[in-house]
Amino acid sequence: MMKLTRRAALTLSAAALSVSLTLPAMAQTAEPVAGGTLRVSVNITPQVLNPMLVRTNPEYMIAEMLYSGLTTLGHDMTAQPDLATQWHANADASEWTFQLRDDAMFSDGTTVTAADVVASFEKLLDPETAAPGRRNLGPIASVAVGADNSVIFTTDGPFADLPVALTYPTAKVLPESVIDAGFESLAQTPVGSGPFRLAEFNADQSVILEARDDYFVEGLPYLETVEVLTFPDAAGSNTALLAGEVDMMLDVQPTDFERISAADGIDGLRTPSGRFLDVVMDTQVAPWSDPRVREALSLSVDRAAMVELVAEGYGTPGNDSPVNSAYAYYADSPVKTYDPVKAKALLAEAGYADGLSLELVASEKPGYRSAMAVVLREMAKPAGFDISVKTMDHPSYLEQVWKKGPFYVGFYNMQPTEGTIFNLLFTSDASWNETKWNNAAFDALVDEADKTVDPAKRAELYADAQKLMREDVPALVPVFFDLLGAKAAYVENYQQHPRGANYALHRVSLSADAPTR
Amino acid sequence: MSASFLIKRLFLMVLTAFVVSIIVFGVTQLLPADAAVMILGENATPEAMAALSSRLGLDRPAPIQYFDWLVGVLHGDFGISLRTGQAVGPTIFEALGRSALLAALSLFTVSIVAIPLGVWAAARRGKAADLGVSVLSYMGISLPEFVLATLLLAWLAGPSVGLFPASGYTSPLENPLDALHHLALPVITLSIVLLAHISRMVRSEMVDTLDSDFIRAARLRGLPRRQVLFRHALRNSMLPAITVIALDIGYLIGGVIVVEEIFSFPGVGRQLILAIQNRDLPMLQAGVLIMSMTYALANLAADLAYAALDKRIQFS
Amino acid sequence: MSFLKTLIRHPQGAVGLFLTALVLTMAAIGPSIAPLDPETMHFANRFEPPSAEFLLGTDWFGRDLLSRMMVGAQSTVLLALLATIIATTIGALIGIISGYLGGWLDEGIMRIVDAIMAIPGLLFALLIISALGTSALNAVIAIGIAFAPGMARISRSVTLQIRALDYVSAARSRGENSLWIVLAEILPNVAAPIIVEATIRVAFAIMTLATLSFLGLGAQPPSPEWGLMISQGREHMFRSPWPIIVPGGAIALVAIGFNLLGDGLRDVLNPKSEH
Repeated sequence: MMKLTRRAALTLSAAALSVSLTLPAMAQTAEPVAGGTLRVSVNITPQVLNPMLVRTNPEYMIAEMLYSGLTTLGHDMTAQPDLATQWHANADASEWTFQLRDDAMFSDGTTVTAADVVASFEKLLDPETAAPGRRNLGPIASVAVGADNSVIFTTDGPFADLPVALTYPTAKVLPESVIDAGFESLAQTPVGSGPFRLAEFNADQSVILEARDDYFVEGLPYLETVEVLTFPDAAGSNTALLAGEVDMMLDVQPTDFERISAADGIDGLRTPSGRFLDVVMDTQVAPWSDPRVREALSLSVDRAAMVELVAEGYGTPGNDSPVNSAYAYYADSPVKTYDPVKAKALLAEAGYADGLSLELVASEKPGYRSAMAVVLREMAKPAGFDISVKTMDHPSYLEQVWKKGPFYVGFYNMQPTEGTIFNLLFTSDASWNETKWNNAAFDALVDEADKTVDPAKRAELYADAQKLMREDVPALVPVFFDLLGAKAAYVENYQQHPRGANYALHRVSLSADAPTR
Repeated sequence: MSASFLIKRLFLMVLTAFVVSIIVFGVTQLLPADAAVMILGENATPEAMAALSSRLGLDRPAPIQYFDWLVGVLHGDFGISLRTGQAVGPTIFEALGRSALLAALSLFTVSIVAIPLGVWAAARRGKAADLGVSVLSYMGISLPEFVLATLLLAWLAGPSVGLFPASGYTSPLENPLDALHHLALPVITLSIVLLAHISRMVRSEMVDTLDSDFIRAARLRGLPRRQVLFRHALRNSMLPAITVIALDIGYLIGGVIVVEEIFSFPGVGRQLILAIQNRDLPMLQAGVLIMSMTYALANLAADLAYAALDKRIQFS
Repeated sequence: MSFLKTLIRHPQGAVGLFLTALVLTMAAIGPSIAPLDPETMHFANRFEPPSAEFLLGTDWFGRDLLSRMMVGAQSTVLLALLATIIATTIGALIGIISGYLGGWLDEGIMRIVDAIMAIPGLLFALLIISALGTSALNAVIAIGIAFAPGMARISRSVTLQIRALDYVSAARSRGENSLWIVLAEILPNVAAPIIVEATIRVAFAIMTLATLSFLGLGAQPPSPEWGLMISQGREHMFRSPWPIIVPGGAIALVAIGFNLLGDGLRDVLNPKSEH
């Protein structure tokens, strides 16, 4: 197939393996039927079309259909080829060369070139663009056009995860000409090299996309049309799927999942994920500056019951580290036990023998933020925590509490790598250092792992980092949520991606017994 | 009815619009978090915030923002939505058209049911029929509309009955039958909520009219009961009823917010909820302005209808 | 007293009086007689139907619905009453002053009132809450402000009628103190229609509060406010209907109670409907 360097060969053989694993068994016995319309329901209306500015899962899905990136994220969290066919790094992983495919075409008929890629990443990294995820791409120092249709990324120091970091949903490639003159026009008129083109954008109602026949992967996409429909209310969305008005629901509420999955002709979709709720404590101020108080709270949570009550059982208990089994370098550990007696003793030791009154803030969105706060309030009562719950509207939460408050409920999507989630939330120079934990030992472990290429060594470093979080509890991470979705049985080759931001609808097909419309 | 009356009313409407726009603008200045915060969400960095605020013009003093907006509106330009980047004018007028269709159909449906019910109840005052209508109407006002909408949705759109689609909208210009099919559930919900109000109003007006001297006189003259009821009493009762129905348009414009949310109907109510949630000031201004103007126009129309029905009423 | 007797003899008034008395009693003593703690979660008893242990069943966290409803009566009913009192006080004050003074001031005030009334009440409440922040109390303030113009309209029109009456004109021409005229002559006469309207408004306020809770802008968890209970129960309605039925039934009773009482009061206080 392709000529590979040694390191890339390693990456790619793993990639090829994961691709064949991710395709459902059915697809191997019969060639998918081409054609048909898939109607997908989403619960947040897609508002932003410019791929560098997208922020919500439905917007990620549409951007993924219209545009391509250099690499895309596999189900095993490794980088897979997209516009780049192969890649390799220099010896210390501080300079990366990505070889581009030469048959990718933008929807305006021009070919995707290395200059387009360079211009795109420069635009993404420009603070003026205000692209979400600018800080998630890694320590990129410069991007340059290389020889033979390749692009060279230089990072500040070694960065082993660059190919994975570049799968970030906003990291899409745009034509240089559009970036220079008409970046704003992307809000209405997409120009991308993805498998679909935009047919209709009816704000707040539907987005209709049509297959491109010049997509660079031969034979894809299978579907002829995809309609993305917004249902702000879960009751309406459930009814629409059950009544056959839509073929697929991107998100199903935990409370509805059992009923929907049991319906005739509907497949419930459930995938363990690293999506989590946490309770953020400002470790610089009392009482959270005392590790004994944090440990006391950590002992005041019945984690199994929490999964039941907050996620309706569709999740896994967490151990106060944001890394769970969905990640590559998860270090297994027994679930912390619920021990209010020990918690009470710890509180007394810390000088709060008479208990501790606290206000826990939770944004109203999504609903399980406040659900967890209310359950935590009840669970922590016996230990002497008197927690009052304050639910806030999301805008006020973002402006007044997030990254500022001493005690609130956070909610985060899974990230592609351990490094991304740690550098996002828990290192001293994290983008959103909300706990202000600033633990030097932890920083050193994460930094070392970022630079390390050897998987065994990385596993060790990340295991130590997770252990440190488990013991010192900068934040309480009691629940990981499974991703829940649903589809009609005739929708084939769709598989939920644990990261929750990738969809691969160009690989989806409808079986022969799908209703024709 | 004189032309000067009309001119005065229209002038007052413009004044109302101006006051509404100042109120809305003033209130939005108090909102925590602006559009830039909402657009960037949990990805905001200080520099990105500053860049975006200045791009959106949110860093200018409030009076200047308001003045610019006002000048734009006077030129027929409602500005650009901060949320979608699309022009506000076409978006909001399109949404208004859909909501107006929803409101008009609901009013029509409720009128053909509620007015006869009210008349019937008044004619059988104190009898079982009256009691039945009363109970029905009290039930109508005792359920919050989001509960009613949810119950209707689960029942009529659910897989076992499946009479109507759960949501969505088709343009009646493209496919009138399909459009009606999609409108059915929201219209039924709004009609049930309004039914209580209008039938009670009609009943109480009818009762007053039936007690009035001229109806008694008509009865004493031996006119047939049916004729008294319909030719004399109903006509007189319709005057106040029309005013009530016009006021209900105000309710309808607000009530569609919840119904549109549950049935994902792309009307002006959903636009406004999204605008508030996203601090989309241009959209919010335009939406509230247009809603209040619709309300004012509906009142004017009611007054004109009132005048047309009752030639005795003179406007000065 | 004779007024009460008339009200009790009026069928709607009697039922309304009974229901509102029941609800107000519940609001007063509900929290102290609730059988269980409204917040305690019985993890093993989620979604229970009514039973001997949980008389009206349990919700999704296994909390006792009867106790939640009884404790919630306080917040629900008191909040609605408070909103109505705010609306009535502001509205009556503005309406009476505006109507009594007349002239350009009246004209100006009424234009502003018209403008606010032209904004749908729910939408206006949404705007105010967004500005003040989400809380039950802010929802009350928002509803109070949103309902005030309607009350102002009614008070003004009644004031205008009374102002034109001979004895008021006489008092004015005698040069009596304006404040005295308003307090002694106008207020007592305006009171009846305002009370009737306010009573019916309480039911509206309860509905609007519930709707705001549905939109996430009213009471906040873990409050047992009825509207919030319904709106959260909606998410679980296919697993158990009781979390909706219990607070829904309670809201319906209160709404019907205040409406009936309002209708009764109108008939009793309004001479036009007397036989």
